[in-house]
Amino acid sequence: MRRAEVVDREDVQGLVARGYGRLPHASYSLYAIERPGEARALLARWADVVGTAGPAGEGTTLNVALSAAGLRALGIAESRIAGFAAPFVEGMVTEHRSRLLGDTGENDPATWSWGGPRHDPVHVLVLLFAPSPAELDERTAALDREASALRLLVRHDTDALSPHEPFGFADGISQPRVAGLGRDPGGLPAGEFVLGYRNAYGQRTWRPLVPPAADPRGLLPADPDGSGARDLGRNGTYLVVRQLEQDVDGFWDFVRTRTERDGTADPDAAERLAARMVGRWRSGAPLVLTPERDDPRRRTEDFAYGADLDGLRCPRGAHVRRVNPRDALAPVGTTREIVDRHRVLRRGRPYTVPPADGEAARRGLHFLCLGANIARQYEFVQHTWINDPHFDGLRDDADPLVAPRAERGRTFTEQARPVRRRHRGMPAFVRVRGGEYFFLPSRRALRWLGSGDGPGTGAT
Amino acid sequence: MSHQVALTVHGPLGPDADPEGSLDGPLDRALAALAAATPPGKGDFAALGAIHFARVFALPGDDELGVPRSLVYMADVDAPVDDHLRRLAALEDGPLAAVLRCWDGYPDTAHARTRWLREHRIPAAATYVHQVGRDLDRVLAEAELRREIDAFLDTHDWADHTDVEVHRAVRAFVDSRDDLVWALAPPAPPETSFRLREAVHAVALPALGLLGLPVLAPVLPLWLVAIRLLETREVPETAPADPAATAQLLALEERAVQNPFTATGRVKAGVVRRTTIAAVLAGLDYACRHVFHREHLAGVRSIHFARWVPIDGGRRLIFASSYDGSQESYMDDFIDRLAWGINAVFGNGEGFPSTRWLLGGGARDEQAFKNYLRRHQLPSVWYSAYPAVTARTVDDDTRLRDGLRRDLDTAGAQDWLARV
Repeated sequence: MRRAEVVDREDVQGLVARGYGRLPHASYSLYAIERPGEARALLARWADVVGTAGPAGEGTTLNVALSAAGLRALGIAESRIAGFAAPFVEGMVTEHRSRLLGDTGENDPATWSWGGPRHDPVHVLVLLFAPSPAELDERTAALDREASALRLLVRHDTDALSPHEPFGFADGISQPRVAGLGRDPGGLPAGEFVLGYRNAYGQRTWRPLVPPAADPRGLLPADPDGSGARDLGRNGTYLVVRQLEQDVDGFWDFVRTRTERDGTADPDAAERLAARMVGRWRSGAPLVLTPERDDPRRRTEDFAYGADLDGLRCPRGAHVRRVNPRDALAPVGTTREIVDRHRVLRRGRPYTVPPADGEAARRGLHFLCLGANIARQYEFVQHTWINDPHFDGLRDDADPLVAPRAERGRTFTEQARPVRRRHRGMPAFVRVRGGEYFFLPSRRALRWLGSGDGPGTGAT
Repeated sequence: MSHQVALTVHGPLGPDADPEGSLDGPLDRALAALAAATPPGKGDFAALGAIHFARVFALPGDDELGVPRSLVYMADVDAPVDDHLRRLAALEDGPLAAVLRCWDGYPDTAHARTRWLREHRIPAAATYVHQVGRDLDRVLAEAELRREIDAFLDTHDWADHTDVEVHRAVRAFVDSRDDLVWALAPPAPPETSFRLREAVHAVALPALGLLGLPVLAPVLPLWLVAIRLLETREVPETAPADPAATAQLLALEERAVQNPFTATGRVKAGVVRRTTIAAVLAGLDYACRHVFHREHLAGVRSIHFARWVPIDGGRRLIFASSYDGSQESYMDDFIDRLAWGINAVFGNGEGFPSTRWLLGGGARDEQAFKNYLRRHQLPSVWYSAYPAVTARTVDDDTRLRDGLRRDLDTAGAQDWLARV
């Protein structure tokens, strides 16, 4: 086993290392670049102020990410952009990718409220995190003043951070540990989540390298493989953003209706069915550990599925079992290592749009996740684990909680003895309202993007 | 019950079908029309019958080898293959016939076409069948059986029954249905002649190997050193595929539960590489026929059919498969579970990521390997007879049926009921 590489944490944006749990107020601003020259100057200034993965500060924090369209708008040469991963270069919305991610039917990007073919492309994403609403407002006002080179497309406010997501379940309990990023020496190789370091295959994920002539001031780190090139990717990573609207009433109506007995509601049974769809109880306690009733004391306990391969304790298609199957997939014993090649760092926050014009409030999750390989991590999880009705030998079961519903995948099966119980005709409880792939650059990459060196010498 | 045959027909293109320098000649237009007329599970291929999967594609030429662009037809069919060739030859019109007419010299009468197809058949050096001897009718019938059993179980409340009782009730249900009662009898085995041939092959190849051992043993270390020397000199390709070519491939993916993979590449020059790939493919074919003939290929359970077909006198190789899931998950399966096997074969292909001692490295270079596959992949018009069924489901359907023939004890009944 290779020794963990030490990550240059001061060069990595803070979102990679932490979810900013101590900064419970956040907003996400999506911009189009209006004046590239000024926008570059802005990026260079932000390079000095972005929150880093180094020791956490207390005050308001800013992180910034760019889409491929944003790099183009800055004037970065296409040949340079081609060095990034294909999903990022192509963007979240292509015909094939929409089939792959399940963005069809009512999730069709043409129906999104931002991103997609009907809206201006998003170039820049600014994430603000603050200790109080007042400080968030103050920083937002300052942002509006300094970002005059950008045109605000959408600003997403988030709910004050709470341990529960809108359906009512504790969230964010299980995250992959990353070696070399925090005090924790163990965990997955840093290269799984940060570009320029060795990944689970002992290799450095493909990323754009820049000839030294394009970086005359030596702003970028050197390619650690010693090619002599400058490394535009190192200490940066990819950020996946999806706005997922949650039909909270629909979800609870569904479990209540399906558990009624002769027209009488059975709240305990409804709670139990909901937990079986999620794979955890409301407190977060995993069903594998406590299949019959919630037990908040066990909410953060580590667990495995090895003793429950039949799914009698936690249904095989339950949401948390799909997004991280741990040791549940055949062949038993080898899977943990393989499963770990498909992890993401989740950084999302819930939101509420207050009721207006007679419309009910809308709730959901601004889903954010980070990874150095979008195709092998986020897209694999979404396609092969969440959306695929054949996950782990099931036959018509997409994720009961978050999957889109197409012709297939409309069943949720509770494995039981003597006979499984099938819930047919599952509705969708989550609808995609927008999304894009972003690059979360290192501070040095931000400085380079802001310097004008890149665009100016980007002909090769 | 019949066995499955990996039929490949390869022929040159007529000058009118593929005018020089044109990327939109009659062949390309005919292929596009066929693709549009082949939705999952339907179209001309479905009408031919007894096809599990099929594909047609233009095989690019190779200037260095002096071979022009040509046309390949592939089908995973139930034996006898001659029946299939006759039905194919009988096609007079329709989009598939229009594509086949692009072959140079493809005759005008059905009789002559059958002979032409036979003459242009080329053998696979290795073939993988997810379960040897399970023909199309059986796949479809067992899927229907599962649907009926599922529906039957859904209509009753079984809470007060034991596992054994439920299993018995299902057996009684199947027995009571004229259209399902066939499931209580064991499936017929493949043809005697086929089984005989396979039994002889199972013994003959190792026997031959043993006979040759005294000659081979002293050569083996030399051969290994020769391979290692070649490996240090050969230059791998690492660049990503052309985005436009990849986009053309992506447009064809995620249309069914399965996806096609078709690729071609040049075999590395020299007698060492040529003999190595021939030997490895012979070993692979043996393993597929006698070891991995049921439910998985060395632990990978998502491949329905695969074949390795040498062309151009062994200077190029075509690999074609039909697999469950996305190409990303397919490639990850290769890297995570089968890298050594992939290396042994494709390590002899030009541009493959560097291997070490034939089995190491190679596919484990994740991104170079994924780029290599995409770079060598070919678009095809592809057909699946059961576009909603994974290989694992087909296996489960078979086990469900196999469990109906006798009463089971509690453990057996529980195991059986876990499959519904």
